[in-house]
Amino acid sequence: MSDTKDHTKEKTQDHTGDQRSDLWKVVAQREISTQLRSKSFLVSGAVLVLGLVAMVVVLTLTQGHETTYDVAVLDETGTSAVELGDDLADEIDDGTKLEAEQYDDAEAAEAAVRDGDVDAALLPVAGDVGDDSDDSWEVLGDDEVDTTVSGALSSALSTVVTTANADAQGVDLAALSQGAQVQERLLDPDAEDRGLRQVASFVFVLLFYITALGFGMQIAATVTQEKESRVVEILAAALPIRALLWGKVIGTSVLAIGQTVVLALVGVGALLVTGNGDALTILGPAILWYVLFFVIGFVALASFWSVAGSLAGRQQDLQATTAPLQLILFAPYIVAVTAGEGVKTIVSMLPIVSTMMMPSRLAEGDVPLWQLGVAILTTLVAAVLLVRLAARVYERTLLQTGRRISFGEAFRSRSDA
Amino acid sequence: MLEAHSLTRVFGSTTVLDDVSFTVTPGRFTGFVGANGAGKTTSMRILMGVLAATSGSVTWDGAPITAEVRRTFGYMPEERGLYPRMKLRDQLVFFARLHGLSTSDAGERADGLLGHFGLTDRADDLLDELSLGNQQRVQIAAALVHRPSALVLDEPFSGLDPIAVESMTDLLRTEAADLPLLFSSHQLDLVERLCDDLVVLSGGRVVAAGSVTELRSRGAERYRVVLDGQDAAWLRDVRGLTVDDVDGPTALVTLDTMPPAELVAAAVARGPVLEVARVQQPLSEIFREVSR
Repeated sequence: MSDTKDHTKEKTQDHTGDQRSDLWKVVAQREISTQLRSKSFLVSGAVLVLGLVAMVVVLTLTQGHETTYDVAVLDETGTSAVELGDDLADEIDDGTKLEAEQYDDAEAAEAAVRDGDVDAALLPVAGDVGDDSDDSWEVLGDDEVDTTVSGALSSALSTVVTTANADAQGVDLAALSQGAQVQERLLDPDAEDRGLRQVASFVFVLLFYITALGFGMQIAATVTQEKESRVVEILAAALPIRALLWGKVIGTSVLAIGQTVVLALVGVGALLVTGNGDALTILGPAILWYVLFFVIGFVALASFWSVAGSLAGRQQDLQATTAPLQLILFAPYIVAVTAGEGVKTIVSMLPIVSTMMMPSRLAEGDVPLWQLGVAILTTLVAAVLLVRLAARVYERTLLQTGRRISFGEAFRSRSDA
Repeated sequence: MLEAHSLTRVFGSTTVLDDVSFTVTPGRFTGFVGANGAGKTTSMRILMGVLAATSGSVTWDGAPITAEVRRTFGYMPEERGLYPRMKLRDQLVFFARLHGLSTSDAGERADGLLGHFGLTDRADDLLDELSLGNQQRVQIAAALVHRPSALVLDEPFSGLDPIAVESMTDLLRTEAADLPLLFSSHQLDLVERLCDDLVVLSGGRVVAAGSVTELRSRGAERYRVVLDGQDAAWLRDVRGLTVDDVDGPTALVTLDTMPPAELVAAAVARGPVLEVARVQQPLSEIFREVSR
């Protein structure tokens, strides 16, 4: 275009020739930048991050915690008993370790126990002089001895002494104990991780519930705010209502997904820092699935949160118009916490609710791939249908300001009514 | 040129607009007047496409208007609305970008408009921290920020003090010098002063439309005659005119068949004359007449 003085006309030409298909980006950017500057958004995000870190820390403190007990001994027999006891203790209670510390005499060992330098002492007690048969051993503690430690020490010492005695008597110990071995067979070898898995599964459901509800209410509230402040009429004149809906849905989804990714990273980071890196081999895939399910599940519902917002005339109406959505989120939460295996399996493949149930099931144990496929597919189909339906209803109800519209009315009404 | 053709709008069993046609010509301010409920806001919403007409059409330069064209318009709805918790400058930039301006261009326009209204140092304040008058200024800025191709302003001056009205009309004269501009108002004196064209609505129908000069000179020609000293009652006996009012040396007459020059001649023939002047019918009177 030539350099004309008539600036206004020139701009007008530019306008009509514009590619207007990316208007939703401008809307999405506004949603994002407004939220990132809002205190309540930042505070609630920080609370979630801290809560997650606290959960991992508590988990670490209550299990998989390694404790080493120092045991005072006087001689070779004591040392071998503690070494054997170390294996036994670890078997009885994961993470319990025993370490022998040699002392010169019983008085020194006792003093060490009293001063707390060692946790226990394994000491020979002499019987009547000249009669070995009365000799015995004692586990000495200050005011108490950990039952795992004392059990492991007793059993180890008895093995060590019995072996020595058998040698002295020329008895074949192997022959003596033939057929008396007891082996352990576990029906559920993963049971060791069960605590961790259950906690993780609960955390997934809870996080989805909190995040989806929080961001969903936020979408609804911003839509209602636009109706309440009447800015919606200017928006409706400036861009297609669908572009407005998409901008809102995408902007808020980006925030919600961003927060979810941050939480996932914080969770992984917290596990690594607290020395629970091995838990990642179990939880890692579940976390990735969680993020994937969150994306499609949230987008599927986001458009309906907008509709809930467009039905409300004022902020006070939001509780009523968002109630069905709150129920959709709350029901699987209850199912996840209370239902049995069979119900969970079926519910975890239903659209949208699968986004809460599947990651939770994945955290608890393996899920067949086809079930994951079904869950993703039904949610995707539901997302497409819901977004289309929502766009239609949103277009109809957005400009009806000043009063609450019921869901039934919104689906029935004609756009020009 | 923005034209409405036979717009009709029915809400339930009520006909709010009935066969409304009018033209908004570029470079001329068109005033939209009518009592409450006459259908001004409904017409404007149909022009802007936020409401559908039951029948009738809107054309732009002779062709049916499209959503793309409408989006280049500037609009100030009856119910004011901007984001209450958003900073002024951010808000204007947002609306400019919604209309397709680049971020830098939008920023320049926002700064320029805030400067015009003396709101530069409040650019980072939230809208709801402003006085109502200033909020109104921002509202008009939001309608102008994207260099619109036409302006549809519903009661743009309501609630403004005279100085603010002046500042806003100055801005409209520069910004909308060669654009079609339609604005509604209850302040008839303001409409009389600002408008080139007028559309008068009453009960959903156009009862008068045309240029202000045309409308005001419509009907009979009225003159005020002021004589020096003598009583003007003798005018009652002159043929070809009707005396509407006599007050000592002053008379108000309507010329029926007599040409104005003869009236002057007749008056001068009787004695000294101070004034013979054409009386322009005030808009309020036209308004009252047509809305009856």
